[in-house]
Amino acid sequence: MTADLEQPRSVTFMPGEEGRPVLAWRSRASSIEGIQTELARIWAHPTMQRDIDLDHDGVIDRQIGARTSVMNLVVVARRPETGERCAATIHALTGRHPSRTLIVTPADPDGPSWFDANIQAHCMVASETAPATCAETIYLTCGGESGRHLEAIIAPLLIHDLPVTLWWPDEPPLPTHVSASALEVCDRLVIDGSSWHGTGLTQLRRMAAFQQRRPVAISDFALIRQSRWREAIASVFDRPDVLPFVSHVRAITVTYAEHDDSGIEAPNLVKPVYHVAWLASRLGMRVSRRLAPESAGFSAALRNGRVEVPVTIRPMQSELPAGTTLRVEIQAAIQRSVLRADITAEQEAVHARVWLDDERILERGFSALRRTDLDLLAEVIETGGRDPVAVETLAMAAAIIGEAPP
Amino acid sequence: MTETATPRRRRVPRGTPGTPETKPGEPEPEVAPESAPDKTPHPAPRPKDAPRTMRELRLARAAGRKRSARPKVNPLRMGLRLERVPDPSVLVLFGATGDLAHRKVVPALYHLWRSNLLPHEFVVLCLGRRPYSPETLRAEYRASLEKYSRVLPIDETAWRSFARRIFYERLDFGDPAGFDQLVTRLEHLDLEHGTEGNHLYYLATQPSAFAEIVAQLGRVGLDHERHEGGWRRVIIEKPFGHDLQSAIRLNREVGKVFRESQVYRIDHYLGKETVRNLLVFRFGNGIFEPIWNRRHIDHVQITVAESIGVENRGSFYEETGASRDFLQNHLLQLMSLVAMEPPATFEANPLRDEKVKVMRAVSEMTPERVQADVVRGQYGSGWVEGKPVVGYREEPEVDPESETETFIAARLEIDDWRWGGVPFYLRSGKRLPKRATEIAVQFKDVPHRLFRDASAEPEPNLLAMRIQPDEGIMLRFAAKVPGLGIDVRSVSMDFTYGSAFTVDSPDAYETLILDTLLGDASLFTRADEVEAAWSIVTPIIDTWANEGPPDFPNYEAGSWGPEAAHALVARDDRKWRRI
Repeated sequence: MTADLEQPRSVTFMPGEEGRPVLAWRSRASSIEGIQTELARIWAHPTMQRDIDLDHDGVIDRQIGARTSVMNLVVVARRPETGERCAATIHALTGRHPSRTLIVTPADPDGPSWFDANIQAHCMVASETAPATCAETIYLTCGGESGRHLEAIIAPLLIHDLPVTLWWPDEPPLPTHVSASALEVCDRLVIDGSSWHGTGLTQLRRMAAFQQRRPVAISDFALIRQSRWREAIASVFDRPDVLPFVSHVRAITVTYAEHDDSGIEAPNLVKPVYHVAWLASRLGMRVSRRLAPESAGFSAALRNGRVEVPVTIRPMQSELPAGTTLRVEIQAAIQRSVLRADITAEQEAVHARVWLDDERILERGFSALRRTDLDLLAEVIETGGRDPVAVETLAMAAAIIGEAPP
Repeated sequence: MTETATPRRRRVPRGTPGTPETKPGEPEPEVAPESAPDKTPHPAPRPKDAPRTMRELRLARAAGRKRSARPKVNPLRMGLRLERVPDPSVLVLFGATGDLAHRKVVPALYHLWRSNLLPHEFVVLCLGRRPYSPETLRAEYRASLEKYSRVLPIDETAWRSFARRIFYERLDFGDPAGFDQLVTRLEHLDLEHGTEGNHLYYLATQPSAFAEIVAQLGRVGLDHERHEGGWRRVIIEKPFGHDLQSAIRLNREVGKVFRESQVYRIDHYLGKETVRNLLVFRFGNGIFEPIWNRRHIDHVQITVAESIGVENRGSFYEETGASRDFLQNHLLQLMSLVAMEPPATFEANPLRDEKVKVMRAVSEMTPERVQADVVRGQYGSGWVEGKPVVGYREEPEVDPESETETFIAARLEIDDWRWGGVPFYLRSGKRLPKRATEIAVQFKDVPHRLFRDASAEPEPNLLAMRIQPDEGIMLRFAAKVPGLGIDVRSVSMDFTYGSAFTVDSPDAYETLILDTLLGDASLFTRADEVEAAWSIVTPIIDTWANEGPPDFPNYEAGSWGPEAAHALVARDDRKWRRI
């Protein structure tokens, strides 16, 4: 490895607006050892210390910007701009879930082996008298062989004995050598199935297979984003007189947004498939016919006991991003009584309408904001361990998709 | 099957003639049904078709399961925020035109509604003395939301759908005919809105009306829970009584009508996020419990400070004062959470059992101890947060010669094996320099000072749990100053809960109302708990009543209370932690 590129440069830490992280340190290094030296120097530098009477007892306390150790967050970004976007999200979370963050961008895989590290510390004060909370961010660009052995770079930079979350914002990290090496060190993998190319279903199947092989917890933003839908759908069956219908679902239809009907560019179907998979896994259904294209959209069939439940996933022209869920319709029947539920969502609200034998028995809207990456990442971090609902939903999604995704 | 094999036992409401009285908090008495052979200790004869072997029992149960195709819980709720939603219900709000309803109750209900945490079949029946129309009241609530909602702007769609569920009836709480009409009104609401006879009575009234309202509810049968569902619960706001005797009386009056399991006494401090986290901190971490005792802890300080005065509650405060308004509930509740033994389970009664034990272990407050260990104060004029403020006696609705205390500091001791000899210093007051609530656990100094030559002696370890405003936990410990010598300094390790801009914590009232609707009483005070708290505070009030007039005002607004409060701690060679 080469020597460090330049001398460390501290940025005088001036606490900014309460709750807003500010850059407090910046330096560069080009070796693991160099990075480790820089990380140690951050906290010893005078600009990271404040001598103030914290508890007003007349005794001056040396307040050191506290490096917080909630976890290690590793981002593998294929493009620098993706890394920047992720870093902005992570910095906004400094006060809430401060972590050591490594943003890794592999580059020039066929060139010589090299890497460059930009080391930063961001600090935030929650209030005037509260001590600063600081977190380190290391931007790593790895070229050549270095970029193929990410685990060799990531592992020595992790804070000991803390969980490692790997955020992979681009295409799913399978099945390349690069991804395999990065996945070696992580406890949780964060992905966003709704950003994958094509229908995203091939990648979804791979993720399900990976979930079976490794005990890594997988958090998919695409699934987490749907929680407001799930709340609305579940609320349909909260009423004691409607609850029995939950075991007698007879049809599921999901409508998603499409921009044009030329069929040239397939919209991402991960979210619509997740809706069906979640319902099927929660209601104990089995797949009787896998997802297949039909004249308008896709169809599949589930089995609910002895009854076959047709599933339709159909497109509708909309200005919303392609693949966005527009409507979920559920039909259930007990003997001659038919229950029909229609769930729709807008930017800030979700609506549920229910008819029993054609008589409207429920119409309700409730506030449920669309969540940003910031909200989603915060939720992922707060979730401990594997979420059994997510595990079962992903497995069911793979079963619905089948061996040869449409 | 099991019902025929073993006769069901039925509960007898407390106060039923011929049944033994039970103390509040004790398990409800159970008696055998009339059909059961009361005089013989033998079990009821086994029905012929009752299962005899394990196999028969298993098959019988399996058959039973097969028959019941109806799911009891909504399987789609797994993993969502609430795995069980509250039952359809009517919240009957007594005192609906009052300050509490506007400031706390209705904003909390609105937020629960907009967050989809209330059932669709939910109705608020507001009751008050004023001649309002429902539209007038809704408009008032809407205006109050602008002032008191924790999330702005108001979601108009959510508000409109919530407002449609708000109804108003004029009711004089002393008028029996009004309660007769209330029965009919509730029956109609249950039918129209599918609320299934589930009623939550929220007493947001003057405390003097509690007993009357409860008695009237009992008289017209609105306390009776039905077999086929239809629960009845009552939320009672603090203060619960104004001394031990009145609390016992009120408990007895309430107990004549409602079972203890139906009664939810609110101390909103218990619904605060950090207070709840206190339990997690103590019992979810293994490293603190071994040192959480007299061998390692020197003393504990609990501060509940307010920078505001009595605002427009002068007449209320004249009757309560700091001892009733804060010591009897918030301070003693916090103390019991700090000092309690680990409960067997995180359920309402085991939790409350342990809290009661702490209060009962507090040393008796004799007149001598009150004089020595309790300080009262009343603020005079001064400056708070950069503004001049008037003294308490100049506040609206306050007697110019008032003897009501606006500050209290007390040194309590808990006589048990864990805490014997560890003083608990509690203080609370109005017009203090800032609004802050904190629990500080001061650990004992090291037994041997190894670093005598250090330029500054390190302070003993301290663990501070801040409840408001900067919610978090701070641990102070000694560290070596880098360099050739051995200089030791105290440093702080601070854990701050999420900053306010990202974390959307529910208000305490939201938590508590939701818990009531779900039937979870963990965060509510039980009858015996209230009485145990009053048995600590009442001797203090009685001693003061027998003393001459206090030398009030005795602290300047914007200071940390009277000098005597500092002397109380200084006497033990300690000092209040400045917050």
